Amino acid sequence: MRRWSKARLWDELAQIWTVASKDVRVYYLTPPMIMFGLLMPFFLFFSFSIRRGMGPAAGLARLLALNTFFTASSAGPVIIPLERRARTYDRLLVAPMSLVSLLLGKTLVGAFFAVSVALVSLVGGLLLHVPIAHLGWVILGVMLVSGSFAAFGLIFGSFPSSSVGGIMMPSTLLRWPLLFISGIFIPLEEMSPWARALSYISPLTYAQDLMNHAVLDRGVIPLVVDVVVLLLSVGLFLIPAIKLHHRSKVLGY
Amino acid sequence: MHNAIEVEGLTKVYKSGRKGSPPVLAVDHVSFQVRKGEIFGFLGPNGAGKTTTHRMLTTLLEPTEGRIVIDGYDLAHDAYFAKRRMGLVPEESNIYVDLSGWENLIFTGRLYRVPKGERERRAAELLKAFGLWEKRHVKAEYYSKGMRRRLSIAMAIIHRPAILFLDEPTPGLDAQSTRMIRSLIRQMNAEGTTIFLTTHQIEEASQLCDRVAIIHHGQIAAIDAPERLKRDFQRVQSVEVALSPDGQRHGQALERLPGVNKAVKMGDKWRLYTDDPSALLPRVVHYAEEQGARIVSLNTLGPSLEDVFLAITGQEVGSVVPGNEDSPSRKRRGNR
Repeated sequence: MRRWSKARLWDELAQIWTVASKDVRVYYLTPPMIMFGLLMPFFLFFSFSIRRGMGPAAGLARLLALNTFFTASSAGPVIIPLERRARTYDRLLVAPMSLVSLLLGKTLVGAFFAVSVALVSLVGGLLLHVPIAHLGWVILGVMLVSGSFAAFGLIFGSFPSSSVGGIMMPSTLLRWPLLFISGIFIPLEEMSPWARALSYISPLTYAQDLMNHAVLDRGVIPLVVDVVVLLLSVGLFLIPAIKLHHRSKVLGY
Repeated sequence: MHNAIEVEGLTKVYKSGRKGSPPVLAVDHVSFQVRKGEIFGFLGPNGAGKTTTHRMLTTLLEPTEGRIVIDGYDLAHDAYFAKRRMGLVPEESNIYVDLSGWENLIFTGRLYRVPKGERERRAAELLKAFGLWEKRHVKAEYYSKGMRRRLSIAMAIIHRPAILFLDEPTPGLDAQSTRMIRSLIRQMNAEGTTIFLTTHQIEEASQLCDRVAIIHHGQIAAIDAPERLKRDFQRVQSVEVALSPDGQRHGQALERLPGVNKAVKMGDKWRLYTDDPSALLPRVVHYAEEQGARIVSLNTLGPSLEDVFLAITGQEVGSVVPGNEDSPSRKRRGNR
């Protein structure tokens, strides 16, 4: 096998950007992206937050975590099946780039989308004078959480299917329980010990805690743990996505 | 000089999704080479293993066994370098319909790391050559089928690949688009591109290819130059006759003439398959005189590539016994 060179590495980085920028151009305004990535998290937020006696800062922390989770994790399950159906995904698979680069490109697409939506919420919060403890951490946190959940969404997008509905169903079945065990609707400190133990398996728990640190300056888990877990989760989520792609290649899908 | 494509013992077994169902052997230890600068046709009936082989050669499908070398790069180890050397035109025009023709080409150029200036020059050159320049800023969803096909080919060659894989490039296109695409294939080949053409259009393969391989039941049944394959099948000769008036009614009588193995209606003509055309000709003339019919045209024909294909794949044709194991080309299974 030929060794990786600096030029090759540069090529791969450029490919990641090429894939991401094309997807931004082609898929951001498709109906499934708007539905699953944009409208649904807002509806969810308002359904579960109105008249719950929550302060504006706590509401913003929740909105950012919720939005970022749904928006970032929707891109993979929407875009990849659409590309498989149009056979344009084959074009990417035969292009001279590694599968990891292709998947990182797709991760970037979801992350961009989530960051853009979160920025709208953040600007809205700032305009309404919502107190934010650490604005820099909010921005960094949104980027980190977006990357993690975009990679999470890729797991579903990597299943060999060309039907957005067929992918979205299992994706939603997994995302909703994560939502309820993650301290978004019931704060971690109010959970029973067993429920809190369960919540630690959900990456969304760390995302919400990170947002609480950044916006409210209080969290249950140490900030460094939130950051490390979310960073590691990007790699962890890419592994099943890579394995599922290899399986598709063996099955001939 | 190494070959453009080398395939050794290529095998694909699909495991059945159902418990207890046997695995399906789609491609069975196929071996062949494609020389540099060649137009190589890959023919086979539906389900013969054509598309499976094509997808394995283009890295879309993992072989169960065997080795593929593309322009000196082993796909198992150096897929990245092999991919840079190849272009792919799939059966379905997989263009981005939400992008314009220009944007599709620029995107593909970026994907293959063609430098910006060269990318734009090449995109303009291809759009003009493929008759798409006027519509370059129109979204591809408004392109006709032929335009999409041409754009798909242009996207596959923007990086000047050494080897171009074409999967069924012309079915469903109008005559003008078909002629244009065939002419483009010849032109690309003249400029040094090796062409691997997967098709079930035998006439297309006959017109374009330097050599063809016929795959049947997952194995290479024959591989040679079209003319050499035809020569091997001299038994599939025929006499073609058009009679007037009322030429259609003579079929059964013509089939009963001594030496005729089978009569097949070909438009307003009858093709009479025979082992000895020279002996049959006077009998046909005599029959026409007896019937008071006028001979509009009378020709002797050698075997067409279609005849060879049908004979090898065991489909109905003239006098050839389906799946005849003694046919000379079958003996060369996969060894060239």
